[in-house]
Amino acid sequence: MEPQLNPAISATAASHDGPIETDAVIVGAGPVGLFQVFELGLLEVKAHIIDSLAYPGGQCIELYPDKPIYDIPAVPVCTGKELTDNLLKQIEPFGATFHLGQEVTLVAKREDGRFDLETSKGTRFVTKTIFIAGGVGSFQPRTLKVDGIEKFDGTQLHYRVRNPSQFAGKNLVIVGGGDSALDWTLNFVQDGPNKAESVILVHRRDGFKAAPASVAKMKELCEAYEMQFVVGQVTGIEEQDGQLTGVKVTGGDGVTRVVPLDMLLVFFGLSPKLGPIAEWGLNIERKQIVVDTEKFETNVPGIFAVGDINTYPGKKKLILSGFHEAALAAFGAAPYIFPDKRIHLQYTTTSPKLHKVLGVETPVFD
Amino acid sequence: MTHVVTESCIRCKYTDCVDVCPVDCFREGPNFLTIDPDECIDCAVCIPECPVNAILPEEDVPSDQLKFIKLNAELAKKWPSITKRKAALPDADEWKDRKDKLDQLIR
Repeated sequence: MEPQLNPAISATAASHDGPIETDAVIVGAGPVGLFQVFELGLLEVKAHIIDSLAYPGGQCIELYPDKPIYDIPAVPVCTGKELTDNLLKQIEPFGATFHLGQEVTLVAKREDGRFDLETSKGTRFVTKTIFIAGGVGSFQPRTLKVDGIEKFDGTQLHYRVRNPSQFAGKNLVIVGGGDSALDWTLNFVQDGPNKAESVILVHRRDGFKAAPASVAKMKELCEAYEMQFVVGQVTGIEEQDGQLTGVKVTGGDGVTRVVPLDMLLVFFGLSPKLGPIAEWGLNIERKQIVVDTEKFETNVPGIFAVGDINTYPGKKKLILSGFHEAALAAFGAAPYIFPDKRIHLQYTTTSPKLHKVLGVETPVFD
Repeated sequence: MTHVVTESCIRCKYTDCVDVCPVDCFREGPNFLTIDPDECIDCAVCIPECPVNAILPEEDVPSDQLKFIKLNAELAKKWPSITKRKAALPDADEWKDRKDKLDQLIR
């Protein structure tokens, strides 16, 4: 049997050998970043695409996966999830490489005119062009705002579960009322390899955003004394010898109780932050990147910005505007990638060359 | 940048804005709402929802309301999140056209 290599692992291994040399890196896998793959693909530019989330779709998936969108041309209605799925299907022929769950940490111009680009996972690129389709920024976990808690971040305080086994056999306090909070609560309470010693769920009210079935299951486990649910907000911490020993939970009754713990897990959802993009030497105005409207290029030649993250006179943050910007940015970038090639506008209806890059048959008309 | 709830909201608190916020950045006090500037993504969806036009983008806040930028940030830290619309304050309609209500704010 042939060994099945996980492509993500191969890519990471390759990155240790040296940077990935490419023509284009797209930062952000929201709808506009995905469509940028398409527009570059038609010009025969293969792209690498990076996103801080572990899945493509950006705001469409993170903020409104199930809400209907009515203003995509020729699509009377679709959800954020459907839009993302359709775009992924549309860009399939172009074989873009996805680098998910990582943020771009460094962008620097090289002497040869290309850019060095690095991500938080250590993936390195040398690229001729960069397309920033960063939307409203990268989605980061919302933090618990309690004095002195920051120093436990990553040791006893966790905003995501990367390795569930580190919580096995521990006394856990889980804060939040969404699906992440409930799913992990159930995971750590129920028998299995990650079963915790004890689990206390804390949520500010007795109503949950999480799926009703998970909530019902959680309440069942409370009645069976397998876990505890406390209504309240974390208002302070208790520490001893540099260890977090408990949290102060102020209940709806105004009484503050100390809840002891080994590990604190907080699931307050994700909120977008502009992050390191602000440090790449780009002209930024009101948290948006200033671009021209001919090529949607920034003040740094070779770096383009498309979608919600850019600004120009008359800018409207619409997905359809982002699609237009992606098309013009691709043409604007072509001279950096193919300095000696004349780029012609071709139509997917009639161009045999485009049919070839799309991998479709050229239709025969009688 | 962020969006800011200004004086018109005081003693009205219609809460139409909180339903539409995609990032749940509204915070609720006894008779005023604020926007947490660390959470707001400037989508501007809340602006037209407010029946008293209390919400403005930070850079459009008129000079006599500038103190509300700081006030939103400060109060957002201590007030709880509100994500579902509820009834306005009982005498909201009496207060909605009144100016100079800052002394009415309950922190």
